[in-house]
Amino acid sequence: MSDSSSMMLIGIGGGGSAIARGIRRAFGEGLRFLTIDTDASSATDDDRFLLIGGDRLSGRGSGGDFVAARLAAEDSIGLLDSEVEGVRLAVVVTSLGGGTGGGVTLEAVKRLDSLGIPSIVFATTPFTFEGEDRQRSSRGVMTMIEEAAGATFFMPLDKLVANAERLDDAMRRAVDTMASAVTLFWRLVEKPGYIRLDAERIRHLVSKAGRGRFAAISSQSPERARDISDMLARSPLLATGSGPVRAILCGVLAGDDLRLAEISTISEGVRSAFCGQTTSFELATVNDEDTFSGRISVVLMLFEAGAKDDSGDADDGVVGKKRRKRTARTLGVGPQGRGRFNNAEPTIWNGEDLDIPTFLRRNISLDV
Amino acid sequence: MSNFYAAIEIGTTRTVLAIGEDEPGGRIKITCHAEIPSTGVRKSQILDINQATTSIRSVLRAIEKKQSEAGSTITLGNAYLVVSGQHIKADPFQGMIPIEGAKVGSDELDAVFRSSRTMQLPKDRELLDIVDQDYEVDGLRGITAPRGMSGRMLRLNTLQIHADKSRIDNARTAADDAKLEIREPLFAATCAADAVLEEHEKRNGVLVLDIGGGSTGYAVYFDGHLASTGVVGVGGDHVTNDIAHAFQTTNAQAEQLKIESASAIIGTPGEPRVKVPGSSPLMETRTISRRALDTVVNARLRELFTVIRDTLEEQDLLNRLHAGAVLTGGGAAMRDIDALVQRELGMPTRTGKPVNVDGLDDEKFPAAFAAVAGAVMYAGRADEGRSILDGILGRFFK
Repeated sequence: MSDSSSMMLIGIGGGGSAIARGIRRAFGEGLRFLTIDTDASSATDDDRFLLIGGDRLSGRGSGGDFVAARLAAEDSIGLLDSEVEGVRLAVVVTSLGGGTGGGVTLEAVKRLDSLGIPSIVFATTPFTFEGEDRQRSSRGVMTMIEEAAGATFFMPLDKLVANAERLDDAMRRAVDTMASAVTLFWRLVEKPGYIRLDAERIRHLVSKAGRGRFAAISSQSPERARDISDMLARSPLLATGSGPVRAILCGVLAGDDLRLAEISTISEGVRSAFCGQTTSFELATVNDEDTFSGRISVVLMLFEAGAKDDSGDADDGVVGKKRRKRTARTLGVGPQGRGRFNNAEPTIWNGEDLDIPTFLRRNISLDV
Repeated sequence: MSNFYAAIEIGTTRTVLAIGEDEPGGRIKITCHAEIPSTGVRKSQILDINQATTSIRSVLRAIEKKQSEAGSTITLGNAYLVVSGQHIKADPFQGMIPIEGAKVGSDELDAVFRSSRTMQLPKDRELLDIVDQDYEVDGLRGITAPRGMSGRMLRLNTLQIHADKSRIDNARTAADDAKLEIREPLFAATCAADAVLEEHEKRNGVLVLDIGGGSTGYAVYFDGHLASTGVVGVGGDHVTNDIAHAFQTTNAQAEQLKIESASAIIGTPGEPRVKVPGSSPLMETRTISRRALDTVVNARLRELFTVIRDTLEEQDLLNRLHAGAVLTGGGAAMRDIDALVQRELGMPTRTGKPVNVDGLDDEKFPAAFAAVAGAVMYAGRADEGRSILDGILGRFFK
């Protein structure tokens, strides 16, 4: 299914809206698009714009106050309902650490979830130099967003734009990099190639998938496939996992000159770098000569163990019963590993479910 | 007649109730306390209100019986509620005002105090406490007495401790059904700290770890004030669950192994095999490796203390705790846990006997009662002139 209306891009807050506009510029027509903010002045003429918290904040923004933004969103997030009619999957881009990015994103994904619309959240997290308060605020809201979103990909700005010298340059590059990466993801879904992955399949894959890692890499060198494999293996965005990888989605986007040997090189490189014995691997390709002539771009999503809901009813892929079996084999535990904590709120730390016995998660062998 | 104060903790493994009264000199003495095993609670969260109500009724009966045996006739009507669990969060909030007359006076201190109390919480959160940390005058932090200081802007840094409202309400409902009025919810970790810490420790930097059944609260004091606090959703019950899973035992057997045989340190002297009695008369006693048992416990506790260590390191607090760590809660009774904390956090560690409240000297492990003792102390400070007898009237007129 590649009905463009089934998938919607939502940019939240100043940073998220900038990223969303970048994606729309790169992708062109046919992208269903909405920006949400508490600051009325951030709307542009081209936006489908939703002002949140007008009564409470008078359209002047949240002033970086997460609580104010969340309260404002609680008041008026119902306005979102009419904007997302018919949407089957929402892709949310945002920037955490301030007020609106965190507070409104949280309420938005909760609302989407209540409407039966799974969401994939791509969010930047603050630079280290922005201070502990913003880091802490960001970490707190990440956990809350994870509970409501289908899949979450949090990208630290430190890693997204390493080596930038000036702040304005770093921020611009962060927006561009995020926009480019998510645009590639969008193309992967909306313009399927010979090995296709459509919006409904993505919806199925990411529903209740939990936290993951995400990167997009391009190369047009003579050794482009090998270069991409090497860059993926070294990518700081992919190396910062908080748990073992249980499933991989790899999208290869290229022109008509894409060779089978190159797909094989990339596939083997990814498997070698990130796959365990029981990690599931799914590959999709896009052949678009106009956009990718001479170039290969790869979008890689790593889904980590400890997905938030093992009770899914899907019959394959990374959610549902089969994944549960794989997770059980990988970790040596099934749901019974949580034991008496089965019905209690899980304790998640760095993506690991701490209610599962430590010795199992650490693979500590016991000479009983 | 003395004033009486009461506090109740509906914990994961036990429900504890303590009653205290004023002593000459301003101290509080715990005159009576009781504990019974909790039911319907997991990870500090009430999952079955009826069962929690039963636990509260049982502990009320136990305390009335104890009082009766001591010749007392007080009937408990209300109590402060000690709460823990990973739903509890602490956020910094700053009150801020311009200094009108160029120097800080009473008006400025009142105004900045009011400003620091204006934080709005989401509807699903309930405020437990606002703790003043320090003042800032024109960006200079760490000021404790700003009166008379010159400057343009006065700030008061606070920590706002809040909890999931529905969970507090569930405890209120359970208590109400047991005919016990809940006064205020209080945070277990800071209550425990109040009971066990001395002022010089708070000035020099100290960490209190309140290790409960379902969660572990921490409270860090530095320069005399609460610098950071929070909860990790891992407690002694996780150790029990790990043992049960590793050695295929019932939870009761695992709990017994944890208390009687396990050590937090691997390789301590002792018998190499540990007996596991059968879970029923038809099951034979078997033995397991003590080293394997200690390995399971050690892995779990090291992970818990690593989480604490990383959290404190992120806040740049770990190296400032010159007075070390103090362990409270029932989980602190695990063998060699103080040595493991010392090793993992790299600081001297002691078990926290409540030194700021009397009456628990005869208790086998007083640190397990630190939180309720601290809550009774708080009640004493807050309730000067109002006793739990008020609650008795409330109860009769319900």
